[in-house]
Amino acid sequence: MESILIYGLINAVMLALITLGFSLSIGISGVANLAFGGFYIFGAYFAWLLLFYLGVPYPLAILLSVLVTGLLGALMYWLVLMRVRGLILSEVIATLATGIAILEFLRWKGLGLGYEFNLPCFVRGGINIGRVSLDYQRLAVIGVGLILLILLWFLTHYTKVGLAFRGIAQDEHTALSMGIRSDWTAMLSVAFGSALAAVAAITILPLSMINVNTGYDVLLIAMAVAVVGGLESFLGIIVASFILGYAQIITAHFFAPHWMMVMYLIAIMVILAVKPSGLFGKFKELEERV
Amino acid sequence: MKRKFLVLFAVVLIVGLVFASGPEVVSGAPPIVLGVPNALRHTTGFGTWKAAELAADEINAKGGVLVGGVKRPIKIVTIETREDEPGIPLHEALMAHEKLILQQKPDAIAASGFRSEVILAAMDLYAKYKLVHMSTISMSPVIPKKFLEDPVKYKYTFKTNSDSIYSAKVVQGSLELIRKAYGFNKVYFILQDTLWARGLGDALKKGIEPLGWKVIAEDFYPVGAAEFSPSLTKAKEAGAQVIVPIFDMVEAVALPKQIRTMKVPAIMCGLIAPLSPSAAWKAFGEDIEYSVQNLWIGGLIPVKAIPESVKFWENLGKKFGEEARGKMCVDNGTTSGYVAVYALAAAITRAGTLDSDALVAAMEKTDLMSPMGRIRFGKDHAVIFGFENPKETAIGCAFQWVKGRQEPVFPELIAKEKILLPPWMK
Repeated sequence: MESILIYGLINAVMLALITLGFSLSIGISGVANLAFGGFYIFGAYFAWLLLFYLGVPYPLAILLSVLVTGLLGALMYWLVLMRVRGLILSEVIATLATGIAILEFLRWKGLGLGYEFNLPCFVRGGINIGRVSLDYQRLAVIGVGLILLILLWFLTHYTKVGLAFRGIAQDEHTALSMGIRSDWTAMLSVAFGSALAAVAAITILPLSMINVNTGYDVLLIAMAVAVVGGLESFLGIIVASFILGYAQIITAHFFAPHWMMVMYLIAIMVILAVKPSGLFGKFKELEERV
Repeated sequence: MKRKFLVLFAVVLIVGLVFASGPEVVSGAPPIVLGVPNALRHTTGFGTWKAAELAADEINAKGGVLVGGVKRPIKIVTIETREDEPGIPLHEALMAHEKLILQQKPDAIAASGFRSEVILAAMDLYAKYKLVHMSTISMSPVIPKKFLEDPVKYKYTFKTNSDSIYSAKVVQGSLELIRKAYGFNKVYFILQDTLWARGLGDALKKGIEPLGWKVIAEDFYPVGAAEFSPSLTKAKEAGAQVIVPIFDMVEAVALPKQIRTMKVPAIMCGLIAPLSPSAAWKAFGEDIEYSVQNLWIGGLIPVKAIPESVKFWENLGKKFGEEARGKMCVDNGTTSGYVAVYALAAAITRAGTLDSDALVAAMEKTDLMSPMGRIRFGKDHAVIFGFENPKETAIGCAFQWVKGRQEPVFPELIAKEKILLPPWMK
């Protein structure tokens, strides 16, 4: 029971950490960024390159990787998204294609052949919590996840930039008339979202290794959590992460681990059938009430 | 002016055509083209491909393959099938096989098949094109079984690696050494959710339960999964003393890391394919120490009892460098790819022709020594494997990672050390 509680918490925070960046752009700002999986893997791979090829100190490699991934996100917005802004389906297709292109480019460059593509843990070793042994890296996941959740909430509620993100999602024309530069704001949100993807990757991937296939899984995870919680709801992401995180661990413990990935798909189907806005989402609230 | 221009143009055109025709074709016999359709970016597929190239180079250095009185060089042609990746449908991998056949027109297929599911479907493809086809990686016992259902139709398929039933016996052998040394009898299986791994798990369970082992549970993980804490938690709570992982996917390298950090009081004895190459220690260090890796085929760990394995190990390093050799899969694929090319070359010489039907008859008479022992094909067109004597059969083996070294621990004829327990078990 102890291990379910603790590993469930870790799993929940991992899901939240993965979803934050996705939710910032697609949920909070209304800008589709289905290249999220590509940025996730790129961020980790770039940190690995800096660390092992250029000998950059790990903290600096992390910082540079997050910055570069953010810039890459901004570049994607400027080159790809800006031209199809407002056409939701085109945004989805364009960003999904970009994400696939990034992942397959990395695969072509050899990412996936061999196991040398792994990031070191921040701190090696672990502690015992009751009868459960926990490594420091998993504790770091909890710490980084909680800090980012708090920072993101603060950003989107108390800073001009964050309020601008929410403004363009609510009503872009009104936001424009209030002096918010929507393209610039949208580009910033995609950049922030991409940078958060890199943070999530660098924190989580030391537990396993960097592999391009993970990029596809991460996109599915982020979509599942965002859809279940509500695309634009911060509280929704947290609640959905906990629901899915614990559901996975309980499923693995009492049934079988190979059902863990299926949980995401079941959750998406159930929520879309019962409450398409998600648990705390409001964008289809009127239709749902009617 | 116009006439001068035309003359100049004609001169330039003629000169260009002469030089553009390329270097004069050197007279010589056409190469024997051997195809390698495989998951070339996976350590196992990479190993089988490179080992096939090494064999081809060694044979070519001696003048090539004698075919009907003429020596012909071997040329290896490849195609990436991506069948190791999750989400790649079967028909896409098969299309890659067919593309190789139709475009590159190989005389035989030297090293094919990563996923057993693909090989089982490809057997019909190679029967259709009447092409001799060497399966060097796929491990499902259904492959030789399918051959036996219609040996006339599937006669073109040969298998140079072992199958999961033999592989289960290798793991069983290691487990028995652990049981005799430490009195352990509780085991937890953590397996990849693919045909070969499930087959191996079933065969292993049937083999060890009568010997007194208790299989606490069998958990299956899909290709791509990297979080094993649910199973490790259950294993710890149930008092498992041995954890048997069976994986070829790269993500499974997280498992020994998690065993160590969770301090699961169990020894890991199975196979995680990416942890078997020599370079794995450089990547993972003490995270993989004390894990026992069971190899379905020997050959890529140099053992004195099989001198060919020492030569193979050295030649691979000389040709590709230590770094590339360190990435090649030790347990499966690399040695079998090397053996496949030599077996084909010898059969072509015996047959005196590249005709597939004659080649099949010649392949059935194969009898040669190799880095994995003696190579002979059984009635099911699969190499015969055993444990006792590499001069009689091919053999598998097991090693334990200890302080960066791959210490052979099974079978006894090559074992140097007994299996050690990790310090957190003591």
